[in-house]
Amino acid sequence: MDIVKQTNIPETGWTQHYDVLRELGDCYVSVGEYDKARECYDEAVGLAPDEAAPYIGFGVIAMQTGELADAETAFKVARRLDPKCSKAYCGLAMICQNRSDAAGAFDLYLKSLETDSDNLTALLGLFQLSCAMGSFSKVIYYLEIYLDAHPGDITVMFCLATLHLKDKQPHKARELLLNILALDANNKDASDLLEEAEHILAQECRS
Amino acid sequence: MTVNNRPKSGPLVSVLISTYNRPGYVRQAVASILRQTYTNFEIILVRDGGRPVGDIVGQFGDRRLIFIDRDTNRGLPYSFNEALSRAKGRYVTYLGDDDIYYPNHIEVLVDALKGRDQYGVAYSDLYKVNCRVTEDGRRVVLSKNVEISRDFSRMTMLRFNHTLHVSLIHDRLLLERAGGYNEDLNVLVDWDLTRKLVFYTDFLHVPTITGEFYAPVPVDSEQTRYATPAGDCDRISVKRRADVSEFIRNMLTIRSTRPPKPWPKVGDMSLIVLTERLDYATEETLRDIWSHTFYPCRIYLPMPREDLSRLRTVVPNILGVPVSADSSDTEKVDAALECCDGDYVAIVPRDFEVGSEDMPWIESALNPLMNCEDPNQAFELPASSSLCWSAVFRREQLKRARRLGPHLGLIESVLSAGIRLRKPAVEEYPLQFDNLMTGAQEIEKMGDWARVAEVFEYLERNYQNELWMKTRWANALYHAGRYENAVRIVGQVNSKRPTVSTLLMEARARRKKEDIDGAIHLLEKARQVLEGSELAWTL
Repeated sequence: MDIVKQTNIPETGWTQHYDVLRELGDCYVSVGEYDKARECYDEAVGLAPDEAAPYIGFGVIAMQTGELADAETAFKVARRLDPKCSKAYCGLAMICQNRSDAAGAFDLYLKSLETDSDNLTALLGLFQLSCAMGSFSKVIYYLEIYLDAHPGDITVMFCLATLHLKDKQPHKARELLLNILALDANNKDASDLLEEAEHILAQECRS
Repeated sequence: MTVNNRPKSGPLVSVLISTYNRPGYVRQAVASILRQTYTNFEIILVRDGGRPVGDIVGQFGDRRLIFIDRDTNRGLPYSFNEALSRAKGRYVTYLGDDDIYYPNHIEVLVDALKGRDQYGVAYSDLYKVNCRVTEDGRRVVLSKNVEISRDFSRMTMLRFNHTLHVSLIHDRLLLERAGGYNEDLNVLVDWDLTRKLVFYTDFLHVPTITGEFYAPVPVDSEQTRYATPAGDCDRISVKRRADVSEFIRNMLTIRSTRPPKPWPKVGDMSLIVLTERLDYATEETLRDIWSHTFYPCRIYLPMPREDLSRLRTVVPNILGVPVSADSSDTEKVDAALECCDGDYVAIVPRDFEVGSEDMPWIESALNPLMNCEDPNQAFELPASSSLCWSAVFRREQLKRARRLGPHLGLIESVLSAGIRLRKPAVEEYPLQFDNLMTGAQEIEKMGDWARVAEVFEYLERNYQNELWMKTRWANALYHAGRYENAVRIVGQVNSKRPTVSTLLMEARARRKKEDIDGAIHLLEKARQVLEGSELAWTL
């Protein structure tokens, strides 16, 4: 009655200060200014000690600077604070991958995608691993979920086509590659892979 | 914020502060006044009981500081009246004892009023600072938001307050004319002030941020850190509203207040209630009218003298009009018209359905009448019917009709005088902007952001509140994935009056466009505001 609040103005929650610092930290990480990013994340932790995101930031910085042990500690803190933190599992998976623990990395990437099927880094990490390990079905499942939500994502479409081809499903690969070329006629990788898929399909017809 | 080191002077401004048990914060508050770029002011600080602050006052050693030291706690309205009795300024401003002015506050407001005599009041924008208070009393800033930045609307102000007390400057004599603060109130004290002032003057909105008011987050509720932006806080004014019956008592008192006439900016309304006898239904109708009418009015009750003598009601502003027991409705209207002094006259039968709390009822017909230039147009109320007929007229219009056809029934005389009657279209109702805002918020809940963007674009083009609407429009564009347009619109806001939230919004949209350097620049500005480096002058 007395004051009409202009509610729903965006970005006005009580976490605003924390949000600004976290976001700023993320930006500094993207341009490689790690000291400034660390300072932002430190301050963000002071404001919201129970939030996982700044620890993800610390982990990413440590990964970038080759301090894997520190990165692992940071990602584990993030996971403890938020057991559903997809980025924490993804970070831990990357550390496993870095240490050539493919099986451990594979499981952690899957865990990451279970909590957030939109996590592109986990998806692409899993794709890389599955190509190396020859295990496709679970990865195909998550790539398909991702594409349901992001139908025009050419990078993921290409990954999925590659896996279909490796999984001896050339007709599915062909369909996807044709879709990619409809979106981007000049995509050289897609046209090369399409040629390969059609070659396999022609051989299948002959036999 | 513009900080201008050149001292500026002009008419004397009286700054009023009432303090109660906040010696730590009141020091900061007074210091923020003493750092004003505008120098011709006096501060009248009232200790309204509570812990002593004499030492703090003495430490400032400034002759412009007048201290009223009282041991008894008498409340804000009493304190402000006491301070006003000592004030000599042409203008008056206010500061909460835990709030601060930026150095530009008085200068911005005085400059805004300079040479604009039609405005007796100006108001700026303020940051509401949600903070966590540490054990040693330090305030950790969680967010700074401009929650209220609304252009002046008289009809809106009659229904609810859309300004902040600390953001106001007003001509001191206007408040004297309005009768000062009502000491029977304990909440909504500021709305009582602004509502009374709209009878006498226009308000000027200056969309510049000139200060901060603090809203501590409840210490016992960690979850509330993630509550909605409008989440309640520990401010005294918020806590006092917890007593609903007291709140309603205060609200109805304010709505029924009729400051001394003449009212150069508000036309009075005389509301004639037609009833057969004084009974429960009549009293119920009177209570409904009282609780639902926000436009100022006086109720005229034509009734036999013996019924009037039995009238016992808490409803204020009722004037009994004695008529004989066998008077017809038309005769009752004629009798009441003889005494009415309102610019507008409404006729309401006893059984008329006043309606729901949220919908303006009589104002729905009054608003188009006030905006209509045709002298022969009057409006029926939306719920009027042939069985229960109700309408609003200009008083002179209705008097003319009755003069021309005194022997005719009421409606016949109106029609034969050439007055056209119709119900208002929905778009003629008052508070259209608020109705459209409610609609937009419903669409937001459904997540149709492209449609929401269209609504806010429409509101921005057709109503006031440019910066507020552009902010909402840009937010909708961002959620609709139209980052380029979001950057363009919120960029326009940030070029005029950046806030933390609009800077953050533009930064996020720029990140989506991979303009990381641009995002960093904006986020650093937001951080500066949040961390108060622009306020390095505070103690």
